Amino acid sequence: MKCVIEGNGIKVFGKAVHALSRIGDEIWLDPLEKGQYVPDPDIQKDCEAVKCKLNIKCVLPLFRCASWRERSVDKCEISINFPNSRVIFQFHCRHGITKTYNLGYQECEALQAVFPAHLCPNVLMAQSKLLGDIVVHFPVSQEEVTLSISCFKVTLKTFCEEENNCIKGMNTELMLHPDEFDYFEVGEDSAVTFCLKELRGLLSFAESYGLPVSCQFGVAGQPVSFTVKDMTLEAHVVLSTLTDPNHESTSQPAPGDDCPVNIPKTSTAEVSTCEGPMETEVYVADGEQVASSQGSEVFNPNLHMRKMIQLQTPGKILPKPRLAPESALTTPVTPATFKIRSLLFGAVYTDVVDSKTADLPSLACASDTEEDGGTEE
Amino acid sequence: MPLSTQSQADIDQYILIASLDNARNLSNILKAISSRDHAIFNATQNGLKVTVEDSKCLQANAFIQADIFQEYIIKEDTVGFQVNLTVLLDCLTIFGGSTVPGVCTALRMCYNGYGYPLTLFLEEGGVVTVCKINTQEPEEPIDFDFCSTNVTNKVILQSDSLKEAFSELDMTSEVLQITMSPSHPYFRLSTFGNSGNAHYDYPKDSDMMELFQCTKIQTNRYKMSLLKPSTKALALSCKVSVRTDSRGFLSLQYLVRNDDGQICFVEYYCCPDEEVEEE
Repeated sequence: MKCVIEGNGIKVFGKAVHALSRIGDEIWLDPLEKGQYVPDPDIQKDCEAVKCKLNIKCVLPLFRCASWRERSVDKCEISINFPNSRVIFQFHCRHGITKTYNLGYQECEALQAVFPAHLCPNVLMAQSKLLGDIVVHFPVSQEEVTLSISCFKVTLKTFCEEENNCIKGMNTELMLHPDEFDYFEVGEDSAVTFCLKELRGLLSFAESYGLPVSCQFGVAGQPVSFTVKDMTLEAHVVLSTLTDPNHESTSQPAPGDDCPVNIPKTSTAEVSTCEGPMETEVYVADGEQVASSQGSEVFNPNLHMRKMIQLQTPGKILPKPRLAPESALTTPVTPATFKIRSLLFGAVYTDVVDSKTADLPSLACASDTEEDGGTEE
Repeated sequence: MPLSTQSQADIDQYILIASLDNARNLSNILKAISSRDHAIFNATQNGLKVTVEDSKCLQANAFIQADIFQEYIIKEDTVGFQVNLTVLLDCLTIFGGSTVPGVCTALRMCYNGYGYPLTLFLEEGGVVTVCKINTQEPEEPIDFDFCSTNVTNKVILQSDSLKEAFSELDMTSEVLQITMSPSHPYFRLSTFGNSGNAHYDYPKDSDMMELFQCTKIQTNRYKMSLLKPSTKALALSCKVSVRTDSRGFLSLQYLVRNDDGQICFVEYYCCPDEEVEEE
């Protein structure tokens, strides 16, 4: 494999690496057929299918000092030395200086989240600046947030594991009117809770390029996908969400039932009093609430798996979430330990209709590293 | 000027007096070699030479010529002593290290001779501080026996190009390998760290390369812990010369311009890492 990035692309790639570093410890390189992938005909047989992963701590220093790199680096070549198990990053800099880094890697299977985003009932698209302005209100240490959607509004609020914590700490809740979004489609009222920390990387990446971010999600327990697209790159972050234990036992709604049956009493009043584009409120839930994960129990991977499989079979109507019971939690909710993360970087020439996703052999799981990232001599 | 209120008798007792209107012209260059606590001072008619050594494998020298000083009086052929460099630097920057334009610390450094402390008179904004630092018997600096006739390879580079490389060096690598060759890769710095290798190549026709004289291919490794402190000298300098001799000993010479544009030199000598045979 040999990949050449020139000029401004290096800056973008560096920012993508930084964004990924906020998500996980390892970075997978998976050369795809789209884009600039040029198989070397001489060693095509050996190299063509090399997919590897690197420890992100090894790659990140190569892309530090973004402003300096912008000025002095003309070209970056990424290639794989298959016999020596090395990924080679070669930077051609000004004044003829060349910097070559040979990093050890581990071969691995392709990592792909099996997640048909086009089947998600709820889709939002907003400018990255808007999303950046939203998440800035949450403390950097805030792990999880809950995103709720209904016909009338979108809410993003702090997620608390236990009722007690909600009272002690500072909670933040923002409500947005559907008009704030470039695209707003609600198929099913829901509230999903996911890890904000991991999303911040993508948001700052998108914000630095002024790209819109789209968000596809379903009900609690189904993954939420955030996508950034451009002529030359495509980034997806797929995050798992906490389940709602009441999911299984609800009856199926009538087909074509888009709007929620139970409309929160206060919503109309709130929407009409919105002055600015969004409001930040400290808000202790009372009265009826949209389904949230406050009733969620310990995250159950098997349950999650079944949901994923359900997603792949269109035609099945997904159960509608009931409102969460108002009783306090008895079991502690653990943060989602089952993570799916992927940030794909590749050239896009046509709209992505990735029917191949369902055929990929591997379902992304918590990374199954046998050992630490390559420490070759 | 408070410093000049010393009596003639006081002045007569000193065997070395060196004065600077701007103490930074001394402190900056001493910081460039301050990897260890103790420094050997050797003053001659030509000026001041300050030496720092590490593990008997590395030697750093700073040269401040006599004409850099506003006043330089030496009453013997050579005057030598050893002081704690950290303490000396703390005293030289006693009024704070910040650079406010137009305001600088004036220095008069005086030494009575063997057994006496090194006396510093520092003044800024009308405030005078007197520091007396104990001196020790000066050790004999190691003679690395590095002479220009024995030099096999030499390059002179503009410091800017090396500054980036040195600041990015993979510190998990125990050694820094320097390859100099009349053919590709010409001049290469390499590290071997936990995540892999890194190579920085400077071609001989690069416009950062001011001089390229390599007669034969040489690859030598030096302990990273010894060379990394030279980054400070590199940061201050505008040019650096890199030379290796037939034994693989390394000489780095840095051309430093002080605040007033005057030229001083800093020099590092380093032994090659013994485990690796010269190729």
